[in-house]
Amino acid sequence: MKYLYVYPELCTGCRECSLACSLTKFGECNPKKAAISVVRDEFERFEYPIICLHCSDALCQKFCPQNAYYPENGILKWDKNKCIKCRFCATVCPYAAITIMDNEIIKCDLCNGDPKCVKVCSTQAIRYEEETHELTDQRNTLAKKVLGK
Amino acid sequence: MLNKKLAIIDLSKEKVKIEETPDSLRKKLLGGRGLNIYYLNKYLKSGAEPLSPDNVLIFGAGLLTGTLTPSSSRYNVSAKSPETGFLGDANCGGFFGPELRYAGFDRLIILGKAKKPSYLYLCDGKIEIRDAGPYWSKDTYEVQQSLRNDLGPCESAVCGVAGEKLVRFACVRTGVKNAAGRCGLGAVMGSKNLKAVVAQGTGGIKIKHPDQMQKLAEEIKKYLFSSKISPLLGKLGTPLLYEVSNAIGAIRTKNSQLNAWSDSLNAEEIEKYVEKMISCSSCMMHCRHRNTFGGEGPEYTAVGMFGANIGLENPAQVIQLNNLANELGLDISSSGTILAWVFELYERGIINKEKTGGLELKFGDFELAQKLLRMISRREGFGDMLAESTQAVKIFGESSRDYLIAVKNLPQSDPHDVRYIKAFALGIATASRGADHLRSRPTLEIFSKLPPEVKERIYGTKITDPTILDEKEKAVYFSEHIFAAVDSLGICKFICHGFNSPHFLDYSYFKKLIKAATGWEFSEKDLEETGRRVIDLERIFNAREGLTKEDDTLPKRYFDDPMPLKISKGHHVDRVQFASALARYYQLRDWTEEGMLKAERIKELESIK
Repeated sequence: MKYLYVYPELCTGCRECSLACSLTKFGECNPKKAAISVVRDEFERFEYPIICLHCSDALCQKFCPQNAYYPENGILKWDKNKCIKCRFCATVCPYAAITIMDNEIIKCDLCNGDPKCVKVCSTQAIRYEEETHELTDQRNTLAKKVLGK
Repeated sequence: MLNKKLAIIDLSKEKVKIEETPDSLRKKLLGGRGLNIYYLNKYLKSGAEPLSPDNVLIFGAGLLTGTLTPSSSRYNVSAKSPETGFLGDANCGGFFGPELRYAGFDRLIILGKAKKPSYLYLCDGKIEIRDAGPYWSKDTYEVQQSLRNDLGPCESAVCGVAGEKLVRFACVRTGVKNAAGRCGLGAVMGSKNLKAVVAQGTGGIKIKHPDQMQKLAEEIKKYLFSSKISPLLGKLGTPLLYEVSNAIGAIRTKNSQLNAWSDSLNAEEIEKYVEKMISCSSCMMHCRHRNTFGGEGPEYTAVGMFGANIGLENPAQVIQLNNLANELGLDISSSGTILAWVFELYERGIINKEKTGGLELKFGDFELAQKLLRMISRREGFGDMLAESTQAVKIFGESSRDYLIAVKNLPQSDPHDVRYIKAFALGIATASRGADHLRSRPTLEIFSKLPPEVKERIYGTKITDPTILDEKEKAVYFSEHIFAAVDSLGICKFICHGFNSPHFLDYSYFKKLIKAATGWEFSEKDLEETGRRVIDLERIFNAREGLTKEDDTLPKRYFDDPMPLKISKGHHVDRVQFASALARYYQLRDWTEEGMLKAERIKELESIK
């Protein structure tokens, strides 16, 4: 199963990911109205993209009084028709990955397997990868570091 | 897309009027620099004193600013320049331009002068004139951070103490390094008691054809990164230009007494002090350096102006001066040019310790440069004279003018010594805001390996020899138009055709982006014509403020002193050949022999509404 992974050290803070997301979902360019958010501050010197991780035991799903959240083929989806806009999901998400704006709950649905954010990232700071690839990469990096390769 | 407003803010009367920008105007001038000059011509009374309440200060986002369009972070700040007395116009990246639009506005036209220190607060279609008492007397970093502490995440365009003190080359700063740097627009803010413009918005920019724009962004990403230069620009940024220019002996050194300098300032050396490369809004290139001294930069301009031009070889010192000027809110191009100028004046005995207040001026003195930058920003002692920029000729005497590297009273921005590269020379002579490469930079002139046919396709002339003026008016003409067009679209020149590369985005991409965003059909010719319109409107402004043919010239040194080093040795600009090139340029522009617009053209432009 493929998911989105973020690499903050590669993120340059441009927000093309958020703009692509808002454009796809709402037909407008608005980095604040997106399921992927880039937190950045040039004075504090950081860039940090935040994205829904599609937890398998997700708090948003667990605590939603309306059962608006449901997993489908590994993607944690949200049913607009069941939602009562109580915003509880956004407050319980440990990663603050759900956005609320203009009375909308904005939650990543992986663009049904074709995430647009990845396509406009120029540094591979967001990747759409198999879970195993991510781990393999990390293990390789770790092994090389330990062995001084 | 077109739901953003135009605000006319009268600080004297404390009144804000919110209007629409007519589509007919947008179709003629797009936005950014183009619409700014339209409104400047409309609102500014001819002959207005630049530091008086009569000046008009305009912040304007480009047509595509803040969209998914790659590198669409840009906006322009325009006014009558207190540094030059002619057009003041500067283009700036970062995050303020997009936020201005998310807050509901395309353009702010600021009139009058506030009774007390104030700032403008823009949020979701509303504008408040607020008390800036707590932010006054703060430099550019502190004021922006204080605003974020007090208001939450926001983007601001501010002036430092230098702006408050009316330093004639104080810039408008946003973020750590981004600046509407040239022409002293920070001093115009200061003169209006305007400390900051703060934007905080949640409103998106509606796009006519979202799928088309997404596809275009993906296509442009592929296209940009199919070029070898893109990863280099993202790794090294503009300092990579230093080595190229230095190799041929075209680096302004010690006030252009020399034309080549140390390899210690090559991009690889600068890179050692880079923590991370970062981006402006929407940018895929990420050419901004987050440096290890707590700031951002340096750009090539800073490397040249605070390195070679003032005689410093140590990259760490150059970066620290860059950081200091950024924090103080001083334009680096003017700072480095003015410092080098007075160092030479002192060496020549044109000024002495009596003028400098006891300071001994010399090239290659890091502590002295630091001290002078601080003194300029506070107008302390000798710094008060330097803060006058090129107008200090009045203080130092007419003979000092011979050593001044400026055109139309604007110190030259580009570290290039243009005596060797003649299209560049013509470009800084004709640039509407004075000696500046960002109005035309005819880069392909120095690409010796580029087949002449490619240059011919782009410029309409083959250009095989950079050292002659023949046909160079065509390269300048082409470049001035496309740069005026990107400045009006809100796209960065870094990805503009002809700026860094013979590739990158040309009119064919711009028309597709405009169509995706607005649904409007533009032809490539229409877009080039828009560029031409902008140049002509800027000429009208300058002519109105007293500019004549005599102002389209070069520093005396570029005519009279041959270059001493490397393959550039012996090169200078011949006055007769220059006059002839200028005449050809006027002809190409369909201007009169005196370099003015013809009555018919003026009438045509005046009918734009």
